[in-house]
Amino acid sequence: MSFLITCPTCGPRKGYEFRYGGEDKGPRPDEAGLTPEEWVEYVHMNRCVAGVSKEWWFHRDGCSAWFTIWRDTRTNLQVQVSNDGPEEQS
Amino acid sequence: MFLLPSTPLWDTSPPLKSSYDAVLIGGGLHSLATAYYLARDHGMTNVAILERRFIGYGGAGRNTAIVRANQRTQENVPLYQEALDLWPVLTRELDYNLMFYNCGNLNLCHSEAAVTAARMNIASAQFQGVGSEFLAPADVKRMVPALDVSDRPRHPIHGAMFHPPGGIVRHDAVVWGLAKGASEQGIHIHQQTEVTGIRAVDGKIQGVETSRGTINSPRVLLSAGGYSAGLSHRFLGVRLPISPLTIQAMVTQPLKPLLNHVVSSGAYHVYCNQTLKGEIATGAHMDPWPNYTTQTTAHYLKHQAEALTDILPCLRGVRFMRHWAGLADMTPDMAPIIDGNDPVEGYYLNCGWGYFGFKSCTSTGKYVAQYLATGERPEILEPFRLSRYKQHRLMGETAGAISYTPWN
Amino acid sequence: MTRLSELPTLRIDPYEELRFEYDGRPLTGVAGDSVATAMFASGVRVFSRSLKYHRPRGLYSLDGECANAMMAVDGVPNAAAETTPLAAGMRVGPQNVRGSADHDRLGFLDMFDWAMPAGFYYRLMHKPAAMWPIAAEQIRKMAGLGEMEPDHRTVGRYTETYLNAEVCVVGGGPAGMRAALAAAQYGARVVLLERRPWLGGSFEHRLRSLDDGTPAYQRARDLAAAVKAADNIRVFARTALIGTYNDNLITAVQRGANGDDFDERYVEIRAASIVVATGCIERPLLFENNERPGVMQIGCAHRLAHTYGLLPGRTAVFSVGSDGGLECAADLADHGVAITCVADCRPEGHDPELVEALRQRNVPFLAGWVATAAHGRKKVRGVSLTALDGTGTRDDSCDVLVASAGRTPLAGPVTMAQGKLAYDSHTGCFLPASLPARLHVAGRLTGLEDPAAIETSGHGAGLAAAADCGRAVETELRECDERLGQLPGPAAGSGLVRSPTHGRKAFVCFDEDATVKNVRQAIDQGFDVPELIKRFASVGTGPGQGGLPGHNLPMLVAELRGMPPESASPTTMRAPMVPVSMATLAGSSHDMCKRTPVHDSQKLPGAIMRRIGAWRRVRYFSDDLLCRAEVRNVRTNVGMLDGSSLGKFRLWGPDALNALQRIYVSDMAKLRPGRVKYSAMCNDDGCVVDDGIVIKRADNEYYLTTSSGRAGQTVEWFRYHTRYDGWDFKMVNLTDALGVINLSGPNARTVLERVADARVSNDAFPFSGYREFTLLGRVPARVMRLGFVGELSYELHVPSSYMRAVWDGVAAAGTDLGIANFGVEAQNIMRMEKGHLIVGSESEQRTTLNDLGLGFLWSRNKPEARTVGSVALAQTLEQPDRLKLVGFRMDDPEHTPRDGSIVVDERIRGWVCVARNSDALSQAVGMALVDEPLSGEGTTLQIYEDGCGGNLATARVVPMPFYDPGGARIRM
Repeated sequence: MSFLITCPTCGPRKGYEFRYGGEDKGPRPDEAGLTPEEWVEYVHMNRCVAGVSKEWWFHRDGCSAWFTIWRDTRTNLQVQVSNDGPEEQS
Repeated sequence: MFLLPSTPLWDTSPPLKSSYDAVLIGGGLHSLATAYYLARDHGMTNVAILERRFIGYGGAGRNTAIVRANQRTQENVPLYQEALDLWPVLTRELDYNLMFYNCGNLNLCHSEAAVTAARMNIASAQFQGVGSEFLAPADVKRMVPALDVSDRPRHPIHGAMFHPPGGIVRHDAVVWGLAKGASEQGIHIHQQTEVTGIRAVDGKIQGVETSRGTINSPRVLLSAGGYSAGLSHRFLGVRLPISPLTIQAMVTQPLKPLLNHVVSSGAYHVYCNQTLKGEIATGAHMDPWPNYTTQTTAHYLKHQAEALTDILPCLRGVRFMRHWAGLADMTPDMAPIIDGNDPVEGYYLNCGWGYFGFKSCTSTGKYVAQYLATGERPEILEPFRLSRYKQHRLMGETAGAISYTPWN
Repeated sequence: MTRLSELPTLRIDPYEELRFEYDGRPLTGVAGDSVATAMFASGVRVFSRSLKYHRPRGLYSLDGECANAMMAVDGVPNAAAETTPLAAGMRVGPQNVRGSADHDRLGFLDMFDWAMPAGFYYRLMHKPAAMWPIAAEQIRKMAGLGEMEPDHRTVGRYTETYLNAEVCVVGGGPAGMRAALAAAQYGARVVLLERRPWLGGSFEHRLRSLDDGTPAYQRARDLAAAVKAADNIRVFARTALIGTYNDNLITAVQRGANGDDFDERYVEIRAASIVVATGCIERPLLFENNERPGVMQIGCAHRLAHTYGLLPGRTAVFSVGSDGGLECAADLADHGVAITCVADCRPEGHDPELVEALRQRNVPFLAGWVATAAHGRKKVRGVSLTALDGTGTRDDSCDVLVASAGRTPLAGPVTMAQGKLAYDSHTGCFLPASLPARLHVAGRLTGLEDPAAIETSGHGAGLAAAADCGRAVETELRECDERLGQLPGPAAGSGLVRSPTHGRKAFVCFDEDATVKNVRQAIDQGFDVPELIKRFASVGTGPGQGGLPGHNLPMLVAELRGMPPESASPTTMRAPMVPVSMATLAGSSHDMCKRTPVHDSQKLPGAIMRRIGAWRRVRYFSDDLLCRAEVRNVRTNVGMLDGSSLGKFRLWGPDALNALQRIYVSDMAKLRPGRVKYSAMCNDDGCVVDDGIVIKRADNEYYLTTSSGRAGQTVEWFRYHTRYDGWDFKMVNLTDALGVINLSGPNARTVLERVADARVSNDAFPFSGYREFTLLGRVPARVMRLGFVGELSYELHVPSSYMRAVWDGVAAAGTDLGIANFGVEAQNIMRMEKGHLIVGSESEQRTTLNDLGLGFLWSRNKPEARTVGSVALAQTLEQPDRLKLVGFRMDDPEHTPRDGSIVVDERIRGWVCVARNSDALSQAVGMALVDEPLSGEGTTLQIYEDGCGGNLATARVVPMPFYDPGGARIRM
């Protein structure tokens, strides 16, 4: 990966220090009454947006924090540093 | 040129009709093969392939052309085995040379655990009648003298799984040959025609919207490779367990014959083969975050050189010349999703092929065609239902918990 | 060949001779020569044979832009002779020839081009079917250029360097140097990359005077001196760009010079801002035999003379499309070359000064004329020219034909960084139309021709780059833009691609022997866009990296299809821009292997080490791969194993227990100090990802272990699955901070008593206990009593810095008993006998915690914890037909199936994870994952081993553990 990611703790660092952690799907659902359909949506299903995507990254070779960024999947560029990002769009 | 007709191999600009019996989204190998067999086996010729760019522009033209049928699980092997058998058959049928070069695949083992995994694959292959055998390092050296089988490499070679029926196929030729075969039977291949929507009413497929107008059709097959999952979500709100990742490959400058077999190594994360043109084609790495860029990375160019030269030291003097990337639609169990009529009637999926969609495209197209034409799921496609994820019955084509997703 | 020795532009020392060998013949060059120029000086004209037709090829670009001058140099194939500096003693040889480059027995193939139209192999070579395998082997032999011996070893110094720059300037011509100077003047740290050994670009070899009367070459040298004098500009000469990537990452390859500590090195730069000033290459003119030896580009002829002192020939004809050709013709006339005529495909718009210069030298100038064919077999002997308006033709004899249709900007660095190009009808070029952030372009790349404009654009780009780095440049940048606006803009270019010719032997791509006719054939067959033609007719896929056909292919396609040039789109440009050897890319080839703190104590004679995950560990302590002595010593006496690679973590804080409850399947609220708790982690499919021990040391203070392979991901895993919760817990990976000794065997307590500063009797320290005490009087240790190998066993966790002392102390304390090391395989055998599984060995993606028989670990009474895996475990609990882990005993105690054998009946029903001939049990036993219907006790399993030829072995499912089922030995 050639692009930079801005870690909220460490600032801009090269992408290979990080690990991608999936689309932002919200907190783990309550177990009570959870159907297999709901669960598989949460665990495995992705939107795969061709555009700006809000997603989790982990600073593996750094501060060991998980954080979210907005990245444009068509350019591989982070489009917003802060957590108050734009709406996801495709 | 007197020997060859100088007419288009396929009809490059058929009229776009307002209605087809089936619409196939994506101009890659799986669509082309499906179209070909729809016409050949089921007489369905009122069929359109819709391709945003050019046929074979995606994974079909970006893979490293390796074919084999030594997969880990018995659910997977039959499709790949049939595909291997089909290369010479299709060459004849299509009257187009797919250039199947049956050189065999050598998969190196660099640890006791890798030998165990190889033994399992070999036993599975042999039990199913597929050629595969274990080779000791000395035999490996005899087959590929350029390999360093000494203790020097960081991962010394403990042996190899040799799979004689495999080899390489000229990937572009498969695209063109199938386009020719489909077009000759009346299938319409529409290039530079982007699908912008899938229409469904009351849970039934009605057709598609395209950059060139509306098309009515009771059946839509989504086989758009790396773009499938995003399109499925965007058009129908149907999410899939897929991550579209870039996978990279590269070739060296052309050399006289040096590698007489496909060589691959899990520990080094490389596979390589020498094309008929003499270039050493090599790849394997995926950037583990979803994207649609098909960008290459500096990191990987370097990694590949480090890895290859550790086991094939003579390659230190060889230069890389071209480097490219394509999309791989990875599923958590490294097996595809082939399904239909769930949750929308008339909506068929053939995607999630990851980086192995080339090897199996012909046989899969044949069965998907049967599925589309009859509405009945062929037995061989049973294991690839989407519902397996809901049931926590992943297919196990990858042995361990996978590493490219964060939830393992 | 005599050299021009008085020119001020020369880069050679004509008096320092270097001897080398070409194709077995001794030749001589001089210092400063490239391999190619030295060969040319020695009279070589045919440098290679082409890929398909074996046509003779000669010097063409002098910059390695095609395979024409690719050689084997010192055993390394495909070396670009034009850019490889000559060194004394080099052994150089031709490639892809039968005989020599001059006399190639395959040269006749050129007559059979009609039999090899575009894509002929797809249409012809499969009939009859039996022929194809034979034909394929023939193709392999015929294809390829250089030869690499399987046992060849490339020796040399290959290194790497990684830099952060504020401004990186790509291209050391006048624009690039001005950009570097401008940015440096504002204090920016600048890196300047130049492919040639010297700075100067298009000025460097030219004698012509600029507006102020300074000769161009002198101006180049003045700028180079200024660059050298600037403290904050670091120049990388002999450095070719490999690629530009997102967020201004640049990679390059640098060739070492005298005094450097490397022969070649990989350079990677992250810059805040980039200036691309890569200039132009020449665009080949398409006419018949446009690649005959003797046909060369303007820069090639000009630089042969001015840089290397070599006249390209005696009699020259020019067919060009830019003023540079006129300038070169005038210069060569001055050096004594007879210029028969200069044809320029542009009917007007020539630099009047240059037209006058030609007139003064009595050189006929033909405006609106172009070459249609070169004549001669191995060397050009003549040329046919035609007026583009059809008013005349002429034939001239010559021994050099300087041919060029115009210029192609080297815009690859822009498009690779996600910039876009657009066709510009004024210049007839694809010019940068949109640029990525913090990347600027300057010089001839932007279409400029005027020297002052080139320099000014470079200055402006340097200022803009400085602005990206936070420098206040507004005023000067505004002035610079104004000045540039007053200077001449881009010069009109000839849109001409192809001279009026059929194109049977007019080569679009030299490397792949692809002609205009082949492109037409491809279009006729339906391949009507450049990306498809590139794939079908292999245009631009050769060692020249697509530079020469990069412009011509899309333009030719547009022309042949009758479409406007604006509709043309070039094929995608990708790194590497230049061929890069793997030795250079591999560089120092870092091997990131971890060694335990007692690594040296493990390297005993006969020990066989393996890389296991990130670590190097001893798998066997002798060549007995069944490890009988190691096992026996543990089973009957006492052994010690270096287990330092075990993952070890401290977890603490108010929410530490919440985190444990989320991650582990067991109820961690039940932990009691002084006791170990074995548990497992699942993923959200219920698949076991790891197992290990958790210890509660105090309230909100835990110590836990993971498998070696999982240690690197454990913090990530804990944090991932709690990322929405905002919990307050901390976690530190202690894996490298603490070493581990596994002390096992019936005499383990005796040994431990001798080194422990605490009571360790069975009562004081029972099975499953955890204690902290000192060893050897001073070393703090965390000690747990476990039973992985099935014997009385202690795990001693001690600070890494004391590990060697403790290891030696324990070994000394057991010497009289016969304590001995045991390795990973002995441990593997013993834990298998004990029925303990290893995650990844006896589990896989298809198996849940329940499938492995570990369901007892799962606490269903903590739904509020939302434990990872619990949902899937509940949903799969009653599912039929899952894989289950079973123990089995072979019916034939003498036969042990290999690990990885499969279990079959009609179909594959499972596989053998591990099986060993157990010395302790005198049985062959193992563990397998089998379909549930086969998992019942007493079921017969049929085992198929690779190579068994259908002769199945049989085994019976038996309860585990096989060894000491009552567990008395671990509690003794």
